[in-house]
Amino acid sequence: MSTSTAVVGKRRRIRPGRVVLSGVGVLVALAWIFPVYWMLNSSLLPNVVLTSTSPRFLPFGGSLDNFTAVVAGGTFLPALGMSVAITVTTVVFCLLFAFLAALAISRFRFRGRKTFVLAVLFIQMLPAEGLFIAQYKMMSTLGLLNSVMGVSLIYIAGVVPFTVWMLRGFVAGVPADLEEAAMVDGCSRSQAFFRITFPLLAPGLVASGVYAFLQAWNEFTVALVILQKEEYRTLPLWLRGFVQASASHETDWGQVMAASTLVAVPVIIFFLFVQGRLTSGLVAGAVKG
Amino acid sequence: MTHSTGSGTAAISPTTEKPARPMARTPRRRRTPVAPYLMLVPSIVILLFALGYPLYWQFLTSMQKFGLSQQFGKPPEFVGLENYIKLFSDPQTWAVVGRSIAFCLVNAAITVVLGVLIALLMNAVGKGIRLLLQVSMLLAWAMPVIAAMTVWIWLFDWHRGVVNWLLTAAGLDFTNHNWLEQPLSFYFVATVIVVWMSVPFVAFSVFAGLTQISDEVMEAAALDGASPTQRFFSIILPMIRPVLMIVLLLQVIWDLRVFAQIRTLQDAGAPLAETDVLGTYIYRLGVGASDFAMASALSIFVLLLTVALSWFYVMHLMKEDTP
Amino acid sequence: MNKLLSALAVATASVVALSGCASGGGATTAPSAPGSPAAQNITLWLAGGDTPDALRDYLKKTYNEKTGGTLTIEQQAWPDLVTKLTTALPDENNTPDVTEIGNTQAPTFTNVGAFADVSDMYAELGGDKLLQSFVDVGKVDGKNYALPYYFGSRYMFYRKDIWKAAGVEVPTTLDAFNTAVKTITEKNPKNIKDFSGFFIGGQDWRNGISWIFANGGDLAKFENGQWTSTFSDPNSIKGLTQLQEIQKSASHAPKTMTDASVYLYLNNSDVIKDGDKVTGKTSLSAATVMAPGWAHWSIGDLVKKDGKEVRNWNDDTFGVFVLPGNDGKPAPVFAGGSNIAISAKSKNQAGARELLRIIFSSDYQQMLAKNGLGPANSDYAQAMATDQFGKALVESASNSKLTPAAPGWATIEASGKLEEFFQKIAEGGDVASLAKQYDDILTPMLNAK
Repeated sequence: MSTSTAVVGKRRRIRPGRVVLSGVGVLVALAWIFPVYWMLNSSLLPNVVLTSTSPRFLPFGGSLDNFTAVVAGGTFLPALGMSVAITVTTVVFCLLFAFLAALAISRFRFRGRKTFVLAVLFIQMLPAEGLFIAQYKMMSTLGLLNSVMGVSLIYIAGVVPFTVWMLRGFVAGVPADLEEAAMVDGCSRSQAFFRITFPLLAPGLVASGVYAFLQAWNEFTVALVILQKEEYRTLPLWLRGFVQASASHETDWGQVMAASTLVAVPVIIFFLFVQGRLTSGLVAGAVKG
Repeated sequence: MTHSTGSGTAAISPTTEKPARPMARTPRRRRTPVAPYLMLVPSIVILLFALGYPLYWQFLTSMQKFGLSQQFGKPPEFVGLENYIKLFSDPQTWAVVGRSIAFCLVNAAITVVLGVLIALLMNAVGKGIRLLLQVSMLLAWAMPVIAAMTVWIWLFDWHRGVVNWLLTAAGLDFTNHNWLEQPLSFYFVATVIVVWMSVPFVAFSVFAGLTQISDEVMEAAALDGASPTQRFFSIILPMIRPVLMIVLLLQVIWDLRVFAQIRTLQDAGAPLAETDVLGTYIYRLGVGASDFAMASALSIFVLLLTVALSWFYVMHLMKEDTP
Repeated sequence: MNKLLSALAVATASVVALSGCASGGGATTAPSAPGSPAAQNITLWLAGGDTPDALRDYLKKTYNEKTGGTLTIEQQAWPDLVTKLTTALPDENNTPDVTEIGNTQAPTFTNVGAFADVSDMYAELGGDKLLQSFVDVGKVDGKNYALPYYFGSRYMFYRKDIWKAAGVEVPTTLDAFNTAVKTITEKNPKNIKDFSGFFIGGQDWRNGISWIFANGGDLAKFENGQWTSTFSDPNSIKGLTQLQEIQKSASHAPKTMTDASVYLYLNNSDVIKDGDKVTGKTSLSAATVMAPGWAHWSIGDLVKKDGKEVRNWNDDTFGVFVLPGNDGKPAPVFAGGSNIAISAKSKNQAGARELLRIIFSSDYQQMLAKNGLGPANSDYAQAMATDQFGKALVESASNSKLTPAAPGWATIEASGKLEEFFQKIAEGGDVASLAKQYDDILTPMLNAK
């Protein structure tokens, strides 16, 4: 699945206990995957089956009815659009801002550097549950309620600190000498950066991007306050609408699970898309010195 | 501590190891000092913009009498530190603080230990099993929090839950056992869920760190007759220490602020006062009781508490960080 | 863009004010041409999905016909409603013009001045015909702010087969009910583990308070300008003691359970086999539950219909009755439902008032009744008593009661203190000392603005 896998693969040899370890591996994998499977299984079953006491482990007699019903509700696609818009905005700007900051703090020594690093770390520690009134007031004054921009601004600020932390390791991992060598060879400074440094940073950007993506995709307390109109709902808010039984209707759990699956699918696609780079991305810079 | 692998060991472990070629000594450093500031501007602007006013508001409100009436236009009255005094003299506050710290430490520890073990497992098994492990971790990681909570609450449902069903099928009588009734068992369920959600991140990060350890070192150690335990403590652990430090710090911060998981579980029916943690308590004071002043005071306190808890740790990181 | 819109809105509002239309022309206002200065585009917040689509369409259409303006309806989820009202109502640029609000949340927002005074329209909208307990929670200093929107109330769903097997009759007094459910639990005719004669969650205060009310107790009283919590009142204690006895000897519901989804426990699962012996697992674990009327859609036999498994109500197995009091009348149960009010900050007061006229019109009140929602105006309540469920609803509502109209009530509900108190009662704690303890906690909260 990546270069690192190949490296590990080479040194594999038959060891006693490998079978036991493989068994443990399978068990762990099953334990972690079970809730995901359960969601999928339930999304295929009708509600009456789900509300009975005996669990049905396989979706026999199931159908895609729940999915059809959920999508036919007509609110899924707008919410998907909203979520995609907000998530993309957040990821792009967050990476851009954090990358610049990471470059600054790992390539330069300057006054206030330490203060910035500390501030960035401590900002993450502020509990978000008490901020909603202030956030609402601010966005209302700026006329940014019910807008992609308003929510994205808060999300970007929320993920930039961690992303800066993550990226500076990568930047530090790319030896500045490489760039200098390229410049000696006649590249301009920006050429040197884009040809040499940037490709080496790509995995780092992917890893941080995944983090930003997940945060923006899953968040719902800020969205709840800033996106008050129904047509601006993001997917988590939309999903909440499904989960919360209304005062006059029974919650349809089959549909809730189908809706949950639909919210998870884009993330899974995104993960599969970046998967190779993600693993190598987590292997800092992948530069062996 | 060995530095044989050279620069930056793992993604999220920026800094901690001394880079093979210290970049601080690059010529660029002597260029115009404006550049780094310019590069920080976007981040600083957005942080000030999105968090500056709310933080200021929170600080101010924590020293006022501020409830729903004030929100609807009644001028708030300045009360100085009264809210803080009220907060600290309430035994409930300290119960919540103690509970949160305990929950946070237990969860962070379990998550990191399990994450390391699973990373070692990924490293030790064959390609097929490794892929299976990675896919399952990835799927769990990708699950939206609300969806995951709905499924988990279902699994632990007292009447229809699969967990009770399986335990009963295994010969233990767990029919109609209510997991959320007792605070301890409530926290057990919460821990299972939080750990399940957080382990993939740790496992992937540590696994990434493990792949950086050169084969030669491991083989040499094996030839020298080092047992697997010895190899783990004397070679692997020091090598992945930087990753572990950061991952542990992040877990502590995140677990101390745990909110969505606890709140959804509480909504599923639990003794509220005995299961509140800092996040849900702030929420209950603010959104619930409309006492925004107390909620703000508690938020500020939580900020200070987290800073205090991680101070030593952060200073340690900073020391290693100096370029 | 938003700024521009709000500037436009201000401009429109001032034109309206100048032209004198804001004073409202009564229910017979002639339709004005779209785009005329009187046309106000307004927003209505509805909570949850309780108002059916047909009713929403009616409101939009009628509002447009009457005023030429557009009515936008936005649905807010119940659990998020307070958060959204807290942020949006004080914000004149984003406030909904009219909003639905839970009846127990109404006093809190009314007391802080969130709503516009509609006393002058009160008589026109129905006056004394309006459900008085709901009118009271929206009233401050004799002025009307929030008016009733619809009500629902809870009654008993029961298993005829099990009641019969246990040899008990449908009760006509509260005491008889208390004894009957205990007998069923003891006899447990189907021999099911943890079977409940009456299934009521420990934290379920919304149903639990019926026992306080039915014994002449109350949650709080208003004296000399102060609210006092009255769990320690002898009548309340009596009710709480009865409830504790039910929790102990008739209900095996979890002590941490609230009032959600109780109907599930009345149903048979598909694997139960014939005879009195349970051979398979069953979801059946209660002979009686107390639930809102719509629960009958989810109670019934499991049947295949068009290849799908659904629940089908069966009169042989299932029945309904209203919780009786000891005085021959139905017991005073908690009336659920909501109020409706105009935001004080709305710039479209004229349009908002016009919408209220439509909502309280005879047509709309009848539509509510036909859709199973108790109408605000009692003249139309009979329109819903067409089947056993409608009849039970009307009957149970006839003597229903509301939570106190105290300014801090919404705060108390959101604080979880009631759940806590009722759970402790259910767990067998000493009623008198718990009542005293929680009276001391709740009294200051009741009065907090």
